[in-house]
Amino acid sequence: MLRKCFFAILLILAVAGIVYGGFFRKLLVYDNLEKFDKLKDAGITIKIPGYDQTQNQLTVQSQWFTEPEAVNAMTFDGIGLYKDGRLISKFPDLRMLKGRRPCPT
Amino acid sequence: MEKLRLRVQVGLAALFNLGLVQWHFICFPVFNCHSCPISVFSCPLGVIGQFAGVGLVPLSVVGAVALAGLIGGRILCGWACPFGLFQDLLYKVPYVKFQIPSWTRFIKYGVFLGLVVAVPFFLSTSFPIYFCRLCPVATIESAIPWAIINGTTEVISLSIRLIVLFAVVILVMGHKRFFCKVLCPLGACLSVFNRFAAIFPERNSDCIDCGTCNKVCPMETEPDKNSFGVYDDRAEECITCLECHKKCPTKAIELWG
Repeated sequence: MLRKCFFAILLILAVAGIVYGGFFRKLLVYDNLEKFDKLKDAGITIKIPGYDQTQNQLTVQSQWFTEPEAVNAMTFDGIGLYKDGRLISKFPDLRMLKGRRPCPT
Repeated sequence: MEKLRLRVQVGLAALFNLGLVQWHFICFPVFNCHSCPISVFSCPLGVIGQFAGVGLVPLSVVGAVALAGLIGGRILCGWACPFGLFQDLLYKVPYVKFQIPSWTRFIKYGVFLGLVVAVPFFLSTSFPIYFCRLCPVATIESAIPWAIINGTTEVISLSIRLIVLFAVVILVMGHKRFFCKVLCPLGACLSVFNRFAAIFPERNSDCIDCGTCNKVCPMETEPDKNSFGVYDDRAEECITCLECHKKCPTKAIELWG
């Protein structure tokens, strides 16, 4: 009887975790402007499609990721933690985290 | 039963590394590296470690592991894990066989809490003893293939990985399912659920206490002793391989828990 109670409670928690994590949870991820600064120091000017800004006018962009998208990004070490505790992309473009893998090289 | 289990293991190992699709947003709770060039699903340990590195808990992944455990305990270890298949095949290699003390089974819980969770949480995933940087499965399925495909400049890191892999291979050749018993952090997570799993081999009243089940068990389960001592005689190490069911003289082992 005790085992069945534990089974039921853990089953409810497991399913709740899967449903909430899989369908409702959102994580805010910021892009990585430090990478752009390094490119500027190297004399490279870039325009990022979709941002509609030139390099010296960039402001920090962020997007909400669902947990499955974050899980996918984590599999290629795509998300890190910034000094102030923000989730930050390890790649210059946030779109590289969403359903697309960067070149493994 | 053993042939059926082998076929299922081989089939699932091929399925998890099909290479035609990559659904890394789905985590299948077996020990299969998602950095493998042809892996389909993500590895729960890698995801838990990466999320621990940013101070979060992947609820869907933890829930999936818990659900798998509640359905069948460590049945995935016995029937689905590619590394379990690797170990079963390696043990057949003629080599010096040895026993290990029973307290070594607790090491895997330390591996999970320490190397998978604590190291990325308190240090980082770049730290050399983060589990994924030592994982033998990652070495076989990811580090070696990518080093062949792209070449590598991380000679020291790859060397450490190969040393760990070599040590695990030697130990697995000498003791059946050594990695599962002593080191596997995913096995540690799933073993907790053996006590509550819906599908689990249990002895019924036809049991005559001959001890055949314990003698043939590859995980050396001791269902008469309560190692965690609370509920009943379910064994945390059981991988539901059903060797006991096959060999029991009175057919006293039933599968459904």
